[in-house]
Amino acid sequence: MKYMKKALSLLLISSLAAGATACGSSSGKASGEKSEDGVITLRILENDTAKSEGYLDELLNEFNEAYKDKGIVAVDANMDEYSNLAENGPYGYGPDVLYQANDKLMTYAEDKHILALNRDDFECAKLIPEEAWDAFTIVVDGKQYTCAIPVNVQEPMLFYRKDKLPENWETDWDKDGDKTPDFFQNWSSLYQYSEQIQDDSDGENYGLVAACNDLYMMAEFMFSYGGYVFGKDENGISNPEDVGFGKADAAKGMMGLRQFAGVMSEECIDDSIGQNRYSKVADGTYFCSISTPDTYVLFHDRLADVYKAEGLSDAEASDKATENLGMIELPGKMPADGNLSGNDTEVDTVVMGGVNGYGISAYTEHKEACIEFVNFATSREMIKKRAEILGIAPTRSDVAEEIGGVTGMIFESLNAGHISLMPSVKAVDQIWDPMRTLLSDVAKDAFREIKGEEVKYSDEAAMQEALDKASQSIYDAIFTLSK
Amino acid sequence: MKSTNVKTKCSYVVMGLGQFLYGQRIKGLLYMAVLGLYIWYLFSAGITDIVGFFTLGTVEGDPWLGVAGDDSIIMMLKGILSFLILIAVIVFYFSNIRDIKNTEKLVEQGKPVPGFYASLLSFVDKKFYVVALFLPVVGVAVFNILPIIFMILIAFTNYGGDIVPPKLVDWVGLSNFAQILSLSGIKDTFVRILGWNIIWAVSATIINYFGGLFLALLLNKKCVKGKTFWRAFPILAYAVPGFITLLGFKFMFSYGGPINYYLKAFGLQAVGFLDIDAGWKARIIGLLVNAWISIPTSMLLATGILSNMNNELYEAASLDGAGRWKQFTKLTLPFVVFSTTPTLITSFVGNFNNFGVFYFLRGGLYLDDYFLASDTDLLINWLYNLSIDNNYYGIGAAVSLIIFIITSVISLTAYVNSSAFKKEDTFR
Repeated sequence: MKYMKKALSLLLISSLAAGATACGSSSGKASGEKSEDGVITLRILENDTAKSEGYLDELLNEFNEAYKDKGIVAVDANMDEYSNLAENGPYGYGPDVLYQANDKLMTYAEDKHILALNRDDFECAKLIPEEAWDAFTIVVDGKQYTCAIPVNVQEPMLFYRKDKLPENWETDWDKDGDKTPDFFQNWSSLYQYSEQIQDDSDGENYGLVAACNDLYMMAEFMFSYGGYVFGKDENGISNPEDVGFGKADAAKGMMGLRQFAGVMSEECIDDSIGQNRYSKVADGTYFCSISTPDTYVLFHDRLADVYKAEGLSDAEASDKATENLGMIELPGKMPADGNLSGNDTEVDTVVMGGVNGYGISAYTEHKEACIEFVNFATSREMIKKRAEILGIAPTRSDVAEEIGGVTGMIFESLNAGHISLMPSVKAVDQIWDPMRTLLSDVAKDAFREIKGEEVKYSDEAAMQEALDKASQSIYDAIFTLSK
Repeated sequence: MKSTNVKTKCSYVVMGLGQFLYGQRIKGLLYMAVLGLYIWYLFSAGITDIVGFFTLGTVEGDPWLGVAGDDSIIMMLKGILSFLILIAVIVFYFSNIRDIKNTEKLVEQGKPVPGFYASLLSFVDKKFYVVALFLPVVGVAVFNILPIIFMILIAFTNYGGDIVPPKLVDWVGLSNFAQILSLSGIKDTFVRILGWNIIWAVSATIINYFGGLFLALLLNKKCVKGKTFWRAFPILAYAVPGFITLLGFKFMFSYGGPINYYLKAFGLQAVGFLDIDAGWKARIIGLLVNAWISIPTSMLLATGILSNMNNELYEAASLDGAGRWKQFTKLTLPFVVFSTTPTLITSFVGNFNNFGVFYFLRGGLYLDDYFLASDTDLLINWLYNLSIDNNYYGIGAAVSLIIFIITSVISLTAYVNSSAFKKEDTFR
């Protein structure tokens, strides 16, 4: 027993000694390492789609090939696409260059976790519209700084099956004769067509069914009527004290959303639409749905599954899905009074959008090398390749012009002010849940009416009150505890 | 003054010096080394860390200008560590005093002073528990106590919101608690959620406990055929990861899920089981889903305990004319409750802090009359909304301290008043 105690004591002491030896100095890995042979290694954080579709590999390979003589090597940062630079950067564990959406990048910019950049250092600068640059502009001590380089624009898109277009669309649904169905051009017509589909199928099929509780998809029902997220201060920078979801005629627009929800499936109220929309557009239960361009492949694959079930081979099904899957911008006009079955004058649709771009970590030790990398990644060739592989809408005018089609349309919409970009301030994090709750409640209200239950939003005044309450809730979430 | 007394006094001033003078050179040197190391630590980092603990930094970082600045959170952690080290040194100091007094006594009695090897052997033998527990205690201090103290202290700072590094965090005393208890929106939300939280914890514990006991008794019946087969079903429900089950139930109860599909197929209207109007519907679904996940555990527990029941007691009770219900309330229930009271308390605390159920079933809803919460959120969900979704770490830490106090008081009161505590020897 005594020997056992001795042995155990020895073991414990030696493990303590080993533990103590292991507690060496914590020399955190610095960003932008420089190896002994003088090669600078840059860690690049890209989004998951760029990785899974192989774009990141191409970018890194081409950059490393072009810069092999200059001693710069770019590698995948191998981090979660939403990893927190504010938490990792100061301790040397963050990426050197990161590609993210403007709201995320500018959250870092507010606390100076990403560098302020000089636009003139970048070859693409003059080709990018001012609206895109605005998404990455911040004011510090009264001076404006640009904190990232815009790469592409995102906005909600309408997905539909071309082979499900009504046979009579050219005679009955193209009143202006411009060879584009009216229901792709204005919301009133889309509402009427949705109503018709539902009536004809005895409630089995629907026209448009979208996630009514998703602010990103539904913001047009407020923005097109003068609503906004945050107002701007005298420098044109977002001011979270001015929450604008209920401003101007936003209540009218929300009454329109309530009306439209009434001809959708009840799935539009909760999250189930997010899972079902791909297969239900594919099998024809829904004529169309709303989603972001990066989900194109999901709609495509479900549609290909449908064709495969009809007996086509994999390749034939895929080709047919490519041919028949339509992705267009949301209808460009909305009724000015919010009544989708009336004949009032129209207003332009304004959707919520975002700009993705490259930022450079403030903790990198090789700022110049990072600038070289961003210049390479935003060159005409690489942006074109990015657009081809990932289907993005670039902010570079030359590439947008060359590709044309939907890409060109998105670029034009940004220029024309039809895309209202997500504000680039930290406070934007607080808008989602209160608005999601309100949107879900408004959509639900349409079904309360159908089921004969007590409705909450019978008129514009009630809707205005709800919008004001949601705006106040956002304001409280931002300021109650931080003042 | 006797020379032994002077030597002893030396150890009061310089740890280990007395031992050295008594001829216990190695032991004395080791004590002095500890003192020396501490003094070296104090001047190289300790004093700065202690001062930093109180100031939480004075220079704000500016990565654009290359100013590293002070990191308040790291400074707080280092400060806590410096106090833990100070406590360890004080413990060493008192062990040194105790040791020198023992040595003095030996010298006064004219006995020989033991050498280092003999002292070491005697220490390892007589105080083996100290040697064995030393590393685990250090581990617990670093990986358990330090984070708990850190979390508690965060409740007394303004960390969160706009105040995140590189901005400097400050001590704010009890103002986070004052905000929770005084700001109208927050106070009302806290009271509402606390009320629901207590109802939830009590109901969920009772449902899970008696559900498990009922299943165990049912599957213990002699008349049940294929017991192993039937027991496998709850085990399967238990084996599936909780969040997968919860996401599955969320889909089942959604508008696009199978329940509403069949309701519509039978000509009925779809029901918003978990939507904004759901209220008590969603709460009851939460209780049932939680029962689905938790009943297998209590069933297994009850099955094990029931296998230890003395069947002669039932036979005797039968002879005395006790019916089945009487046997259940007078024999089975007291025996099972007695054996499982601590588990019951653990289950209550687990249910009180059950984050997953409503986060997965109904997360992301902020209802009117609630501040960043919905009518099904528990305190732990609200804590998450405040501290993770909205970065109010200080307020979040204050809420978690309140949760800790509530659950501790309830658990301790229940335990101290339980027969498992009062009549410890009953079933021995």
